[in-house]
Amino acid sequence: MNVSELPSRFTERYCPLVDNEEAFLASLGRLLPKSFRVNTIKSSASEVKERFSGYGIGIKQMPWYEDAFVSDNPDVGSTLEHFAGAIYMQELVSMLPPIIVREELRESRFVLDGCAAPGSKTTQLSALMQNRGTIVANDLDYMRIKALKFNLEKTGALNVVITNQDLRMFPPMQFDLIILDVPCSAEGTIRKSDGLFSSWSENAIRGASSVQKRLIRKGFDLLKPGGTMVYSTCTFAPEENEAVLDHLLADTPAVLEPIAIEGLKLSKPLEEWEGGRFDPQISNAIRIWPHHNDTGGFFIAKVRK
Amino acid sequence: MRRDSEEYEPRETRSPKDLQRMVLDYLDERFGLEEKLFEKLGLYLASKGRVYLGPKSAIAKPRVVTLGLLIARISGAVKPSTNLLQVFGKKVTKNFIELTKEQTIVFANGSDVNVEQNQLADASEGYVLLRYHEAQLGCGLLKGKSIKNMLPKAKRLEIKYI
Repeated sequence: MNVSELPSRFTERYCPLVDNEEAFLASLGRLLPKSFRVNTIKSSASEVKERFSGYGIGIKQMPWYEDAFVSDNPDVGSTLEHFAGAIYMQELVSMLPPIIVREELRESRFVLDGCAAPGSKTTQLSALMQNRGTIVANDLDYMRIKALKFNLEKTGALNVVITNQDLRMFPPMQFDLIILDVPCSAEGTIRKSDGLFSSWSENAIRGASSVQKRLIRKGFDLLKPGGTMVYSTCTFAPEENEAVLDHLLADTPAVLEPIAIEGLKLSKPLEEWEGGRFDPQISNAIRIWPHHNDTGGFFIAKVRK
Repeated sequence: MRRDSEEYEPRETRSPKDLQRMVLDYLDERFGLEEKLFEKLGLYLASKGRVYLGPKSAIAKPRVVTLGLLIARISGAVKPSTNLLQVFGKKVTKNFIELTKEQTIVFANGSDVNVEQNQLADASEGYVLLRYHEAQLGCGLLKGKSIKNMLPKAKRLEIKYI
């Protein structure tokens, strides 16, 4: 991505929100490092480290998650481990929603991944649950379910039921835990997709926001009392992040819980946007800016019912 | 279950219970995979003889696309899947073949593999698990000294590091 081609409205919106404008813009112009997760259904971090060291492929383990690795060697995907499903190519920030509920997952028997395809988080949930319990992996888009199926097969996830439904029309059920990684304007993925700004507009952001507000309300309805829901996006737009949570908090008794991820630089969410102040509880959510940890951009909140 | 197409499908006359029993007996007899390995899971029969192993507590609504992992197909006899043998490969006690480095690369590429007599000590003709050290590679069909590759195209890979 050539940073000078960023739409002026984009830089006007986000540059004032970051601590270091220059570093932020420079990071958007750099490609994301290759990253993968060890699939603990089939292998372990120590096994993978040993094998890659034997190959002479340099990999770096993330301090905040023992199964997360990055490498600047493009051959990571041409290894026996990739073939056998012992590793799964996954963007680092996409590993965050499951790991902030690791404790809760131990007690969860019935889990919903509301917008699951292509299945990075579903396969990770399956590994964290040690292939036990039941995960309902739902996606609206039948074409994307093909990729979900493929990835579940590749990783050996047994405890997953795939459903193909508009989440907003989901029948009444009560889940112990819900992962809601909603469709969004994906501004935080700019480091891996050059074409992003051909369709970027503030109108598209407003459109995404109104769908997300309905999805989070539905997710909350599907959560059993005492249950936890993780809401996340890979975008910077406050309309799709803080404003969506604000909408939920205004209408429900939802509680936002603090999030701690040791070894990863986390940033505070916004307190206000375009003149409107957000519910103070929103300060418990987190933003991940691309220049802080050399990742994509991300937003994540942990909601308790 | 969703049908991919309206292909001709011979009528299955055996009862679902008989088919489940047939799969479980086959896995035990052929690979030494005991029934108790699967007791916390559910075995489900879908269209075109497909057999899935998935969570015991299934859901009725909304419409289910897939329930668990495709572990076998029944068309007359049982044909185990690569998915199954990759996940449960460590527990397999018979009908497995340890491949060499070169053979593993050939297999991952999607080609048939020729093996030596001394590699066949734990295998008889029929479906076999292929291994390379700790890695459970998948399913092949052994006939004589040749292993027919059963890997779906999408799962093939040119391995450079092994």
